[in-house]
Amino acid sequence: MSQGIYLGEGPVRRPQATGNPLLRKIQRSCRLSLPEPDLALNLDVADYINDKQGACPRDAVIAIVKLINSRDTHTAIFALSLLDVLVKNCGYPLHLQISRKEFLNELVKRFPEHPPLRYSKVQKLILTAIEEWYQTLCKHASYKDDLGYIRDMHRLLKYKGYIFPKINESDLAVLRPNDQLKTPSEIQKEQEVAQAAKLEELIRRGKPEDLREANKLMKVMAGFKQDNVNDAKQSILSELNKLKRKADLLNDMLSSAEEVDIQNDTIVSLFSSLKSAQPKFLKIIQEEQEDESLVQDLLQFNDTVNQLLEKFDLFKIGNKEAASHINPSSISSATTSTGAAGGALANEINLIDFDDETDSQDPSTSSTGNQNGLQGESVTDLLSDLNELSISSNSNMPNFGAGGSISLGAAEPAVPVTTTPTNYSNTNDVDLLGGFSAPSTSGTAPQAKSNSFDLLGDFSSPSPISSTTQRTLVNRSDNLKIEFEIHRESDSTLKVKTFFSNTSANAISNLNFLLAVPKTMTLRLQPQTGSFVGSFAQDAVSQESWIDNAMVNVGKALKIKWKATYSFEGKPVEETAVFTFSEV
Amino acid sequence: MGNSVSKTLGKIFGSREMKILMLGLDNAGKTTILYKLKLDQIKTFAPTVGFIVETVSYKNVKFNMWDVAGQERLRPLWRHYFPATTALIFVIDSGDIDRLNEAKEELYSIISEKEMENVVLLVWANKQDMKNAKNPREISDFLQLGQNLRNQLWCVIGSNALTGQGLVEGLSWISNNTKGRKN
Repeated sequence: MSQGIYLGEGPVRRPQATGNPLLRKIQRSCRLSLPEPDLALNLDVADYINDKQGACPRDAVIAIVKLINSRDTHTAIFALSLLDVLVKNCGYPLHLQISRKEFLNELVKRFPEHPPLRYSKVQKLILTAIEEWYQTLCKHASYKDDLGYIRDMHRLLKYKGYIFPKINESDLAVLRPNDQLKTPSEIQKEQEVAQAAKLEELIRRGKPEDLREANKLMKVMAGFKQDNVNDAKQSILSELNKLKRKADLLNDMLSSAEEVDIQNDTIVSLFSSLKSAQPKFLKIIQEEQEDESLVQDLLQFNDTVNQLLEKFDLFKIGNKEAASHINPSSISSATTSTGAAGGALANEINLIDFDDETDSQDPSTSSTGNQNGLQGESVTDLLSDLNELSISSNSNMPNFGAGGSISLGAAEPAVPVTTTPTNYSNTNDVDLLGGFSAPSTSGTAPQAKSNSFDLLGDFSSPSPISSTTQRTLVNRSDNLKIEFEIHRESDSTLKVKTFFSNTSANAISNLNFLLAVPKTMTLRLQPQTGSFVGSFAQDAVSQESWIDNAMVNVGKALKIKWKATYSFEGKPVEETAVFTFSEV
Repeated sequence: MGNSVSKTLGKIFGSREMKILMLGLDNAGKTTILYKLKLDQIKTFAPTVGFIVETVSYKNVKFNMWDVAGQERLRPLWRHYFPATTALIFVIDSGDIDRLNEAKEELYSIISEKEMENVVLLVWANKQDMKNAKNPREISDFLQLGQNLRNQLWCVIGSNALTGQGLVEGLSWISNNTKGRKN
C-alpha cells in the first residue's frame, strides 16, 4: 500500500484552485440563472461526493441546508431538488448525514411553532422530503437503526400538527432497496464505504459511547474482515434464492395460463429482473471460483434463466407453439435451501392470481414474503404495518423520545403518552394501586385485579370475559420468561398485564420493557414494578398496560411488538419479537 | 451544555483545546508516550488495536490526543481521523533503522492529504535511549522535511518515552506554534 515518495520533484503540496470545488459545484447547480433544476449538474455533485467521500457528504449537506434556508425561494427549491438527487444517488454516507439531529433541526429552522394555514412551496417540499425518507429509508434501509432521528423528526412535526403530503408510489420505489444481484466485491465495496462513513461520523461526534463504537467498528474494518466476507456471501445466497423464486414464478405464469399476456406487469417485471441479473452470474462465478457448489448451482440456474428468457421472447413474437416446448425445470424446489420457500411459493402464486385478498392473508405469508421483493404491494404493506409500530414507553425512561431534543422552538418531547379521557382516568388510578399491592405473587395477582375491576364496575361496561384471565406465554428465552395476562375491559380497550420471571440461576437487572401497538391504537403503559429479577424468581416484576381502540372482531389479529432489554451477567441483552393476540 | 460552559470559561481564562493526532508505525511507542504524558507511568502495552483518546493538559492547553494503531492493516484507516486535526505528531522508532524508509513513506502519504495541509507537524524521534538510535538531527536529514515542506511548520524532537525526555518540549512547541489558530 505504500506509495512512492515524491522527493526532489518539487513541493509535495499539490497546487490547488482557490475555493472548495464541492461548494462551487453546489453553488453552480443552485444558481439563480438556471430556469429549472438541472439534473446533469445535480448528478455531477453526486458523482463528486461518491468519488471523494470523506467529509464530502457532510460538507455538501451543510451547504445545501444553508441554501434551503436562504431567503430566496428559487435557491431553496433548487437546493431541495439537489438534496433529493444526492439522497437517491449517494447512499449510506449521505443518509447518515441527513439523519443527524443538527441537520434535521436546520432543515426545519424556518418552520413556525404552529403549522401555518397554508404551507409555502419550500415547506411543502421539505415535508415531502421528510415523509419520503420516513417511508423508505427509515423502513427499508438495511441500516435503518442509524437513521432514528428522521423518524423522531417526522413524529415531532406530526405532533405539532404538520400534515405530510402523500407521496406517490413511483417516487418511493426509487429509495426502496433494489433486489439486485451483486458480486461479492461489489457488496464488499459498498460495506467499506458505509463503514468508513460511519467511522468518520462517530469520530466527529466524539462522545465516549461513539468512540467506543468507533473502536469496535475499526476492528471490523481492519482485517478482521471475515465477518464482512460472510455477510457478503449470505446476501448473495439470499438474492439468488429470490431470483430463483422469480424464475419459478415466471415459468409457472408462462406455462400455466391459456392466454399468456405478455404485457402483464408482473411478467414484465419478472422478466426484466431476471434479465438484468444474468450478466452478474458470470462475475460471481469468476470471483467465487473456489466454491464448487455455488458455481454449479449458478451454472444450472443460468441455463434455466436462458430457457425462460427464450420462452418469453417466443411468446413475444407470437410463436406459442415453440414456446410451449420449452419447459425448464423448477429451480427453487430443487435446491436444498428452499424447503420452506416451496410453501411460500404456493402462497405467492395464489396471491398473484387473486390479488385482492391481501387482507385475509395469513400472517405467516407476510413473514416469508419478507424475503421476496416481488410481491411488492401487498407484502410491503403488511411489513410497513409492523415497521410503523413505534416503540413507546412510559415516562420513567428518561432517554426515550429523543425527539424531544429536536428543538422546534420549544422543546417538547414527542412522547406517545396519550391524554386519557376522563372516564378512564379513574380506572388508571385504581388499577395502579392494584398493581402495586400485588407485585410479585402469581396467585394473588388475578385476585387483586378482579377486585379492582369490581371497584370500577360503574365505569366500564360489564364484560363476561373479565373473570377468565389467563396467562399467555409471550417469550421464553434462556434467562427471561415473559407472560401476558390479557383481558378485555370493554369493546375497545384491552388490558395487558405483563409478568417477568427469571428462568436462570443468575439475576437479571436493569430490566426495561417496551411495547408498540399499531398506529390506529393507543397504548397506555404503567411503570414497571421494578427492574430487578432475582434468580429463578417467579413474576418478580410486572407491568400493566392498556391498549385503546382495539376493537373486537375486526377480523385481523392484533399484533404488538415488544422489546426487553436487561443486563445479565454484566452484559446487556436485548430480546424482541412480534406477538400476535389470539382473539379476545 | 456543560461543554459550552467550560468552553466559555476557557475563553475567559485563555485556555485552549486542540485535537492532536498521533500516528506512526507499529511499535514506535505512541501508546507508551501517551500514558507517560497522561499518568506519568510506564507500562508495557500490547499493540493497540483501534485507537485511544486521552486528554492531556499542559499549561492552559488541553490536548485531545488521538493515538491510532499503527499496524499495517490499520494504516488505511488513518485518513478517517484527519478531519479537524490541529497538529500531527508522527512518532518514529529511531532505533529501527530498517523501517525508517517505511516510516518516511507513511509520513509523506499522510501530509500530502488535503485535509492535513494546515496542521503543524511534530516528529518525535523516539527511543533515543537505544544504543543504535539515530539522533534527531539524522532523522531530520533523513526525512528531508526542509526540502519538501514549504508551507507547513514542522519540527523534529528527540524523545525518550521512558524518561519523559523531549515530551514536554514537544507539547510546548505545538502550543507555541498554534497560537491564534481557531480550533
